[in-house]
Amino acid sequence: MRIVIAEDAAIMRDGLTQTLTRRGHDVVAAVGDAGALRQAVARHHPDVAIVDVRMPPTHTDEGLRAAMTVHQDFPGVGVLVFSQYIEARAATELFASAPAGVGYLLKDRVADVSDFIDAITRVAQGGTVLDPEVVRQLLGAARRADALATLTPREREVLSHLAQGRSNAAIAGTLFISPKVVEKHVANIFDKLGLTPSDSDNRRVIAAIRYLES
Amino acid sequence: MTTYPERVLQKAYAWMRGHPRVADGILALALLACSAGQIPHRLIDMAGTLVVNVLLATTVSLRRRAPVAAFAAAVAIAAVQLAYGLGPGASPAFELTVTDMAVVVLLYTLAAYRPRRISLAGLAVCLTGAAVAIARYAPLHEAHAGPIVLLTTAAVGVTLLSAWVLGDSAAYRRAYYVSLEERVAAAERARDLEDKRARAIDASAARLRRIERDLHDGAQVRLAALAMALGEIKEDLAQAGRDAGTLKLISSAHQSAKDTLTELRDLARGIHPAVLDRGLDPALSMLAETSAIPVALTVDLPGRPSPAIEAIAYFCTAELLANAVKHTAAKHVAVRMREQGSGLLLTLTDDGPGGARVTPGGGLAGLLERVRTVDGRLDIDSPPGGPTTVTVGLPRHA
Repeated sequence: MRIVIAEDAAIMRDGLTQTLTRRGHDVVAAVGDAGALRQAVARHHPDVAIVDVRMPPTHTDEGLRAAMTVHQDFPGVGVLVFSQYIEARAATELFASAPAGVGYLLKDRVADVSDFIDAITRVAQGGTVLDPEVVRQLLGAARRADALATLTPREREVLSHLAQGRSNAAIAGTLFISPKVVEKHVANIFDKLGLTPSDSDNRRVIAAIRYLES
Repeated sequence: MTTYPERVLQKAYAWMRGHPRVADGILALALLACSAGQIPHRLIDMAGTLVVNVLLATTVSLRRRAPVAAFAAAVAIAAVQLAYGLGPGASPAFELTVTDMAVVVLLYTLAAYRPRRISLAGLAVCLTGAAVAIARYAPLHEAHAGPIVLLTTAAVGVTLLSAWVLGDSAAYRRAYYVSLEERVAAAERARDLEDKRARAIDASAARLRRIERDLHDGAQVRLAALAMALGEIKEDLAQAGRDAGTLKLISSAHQSAKDTLTELRDLARGIHPAVLDRGLDPALSMLAETSAIPVALTVDLPGRPSPAIEAIAYFCTAELLANAVKHTAAKHVAVRMREQGSGLLLTLTDDGPGGARVTPGGGLAGLLERVRTVDGRLDIDSPPGGPTTVTVGLPRHA
């Protein structure tokens, strides 16, 4: 794999480069901020970019923003975002654009080297990687985890399309039903998954993530 | 705007307040000067009168340093004069003497600088002395004596009473000014303390944030790199299939590095949640999304409050949500964060069974303490049977 690393901590950047190189991968660029990441991706067109969420100058979420624009502007480039903290919202934002060739992992996962490289590989091949911690956080208590089981077969079908990032109209077209019916199914899904209307921006994504991880 | 004469008067008063002894000395000299016109012509009387007048002037000059002693001395001089008929006052006509003036001034001073019971006793002594003097010198043998005696009695009485009342009111006014100054000083002190507290709270919030950053950029990264290296070694050893003892050792080191990473992350999050750097909305959303009970969250805030306030609002929400999960059978929680007046209002309503109370040492008590550090308030409305509504009011800035 051809890999670009964006991580502002030199020790982590060098460690990753070393490990990935040892395993026979080609780290084409290792940079320390979001601007350099975009340039490196534009120049090298790597298979995958590994991006730290917190980078200069504000050390908040510029890595996440950069990863999202990279993912939009370079559809062939897989993007694996890793972070010291798991934020469900960051995951939902990341997966909202298009849940293919995207990963979101806790930084600790680098400790299990082979698993980590597997995750990079999946993202590079257009797959999806979501940290178990995100799922644990999003699902919260067990009583919410069982919620998927209460969906009807039709609702599960609608959810599976929703999880692929399709709009209500597209789902209606595929399933040969009216958009109104799709809307009703989607509302039922949200209701059964306990997603209240205030999360409206994220409801589709959270529902999709639950489905993907179920 | 004050006029020029007012300014001159203010300056003069200020100078007199600043130099009480000099002011009293000038008053004594003025008294002495007044007495010049009353010095008798006989040499022996002249010397005696001069001695008495100088003594009286001395009592006046000392009036504020020793009000009671000065008053007593002047009264004693007056009593001697009365008993032996010395001085110009011993003439058949009623004239105002230096002694009279000194006694009036000292009675005023007594009322102004000593407690009422002392100054009232002084007034009684003066009135008695005046009555005796009038009785002694009243020209009863003259025609039309009645009205003159009556008028004199009234004039002396009014003068002495006025002196006392003026002195007493001066004392009252001075006490009032002192209390006013104390109140102003207390208000200034309170404002100063508020400023200092706000700075301390902000500094402490900034310090916590820096500690979290330092952990993030330092220990956590190093530990993650270390765990990665240990992971590499572990996998290499496992692949080579020998050195089982070393592999076991490395595996346990690897595991403990990973556990420490988790602990360190929880610790850092407790110090300052990184998500707060992006604002209350994402921070509270994270709490809502990860809550075990479904949360309906509304955040409606124009602009951002200060970081210390954001941290308090965040930890309040986290604690209250955790409480709802732990202690109630609530199925839904509504969290609302909005602006109210110049501050923020956080309300948390759950549909649990109610009956929530602040118990000493409990989670709510800790929150209450935290909220109070910024003069915020925390109200709990939790009737038996529910619902429970907790309201937290916070300022925008510490």
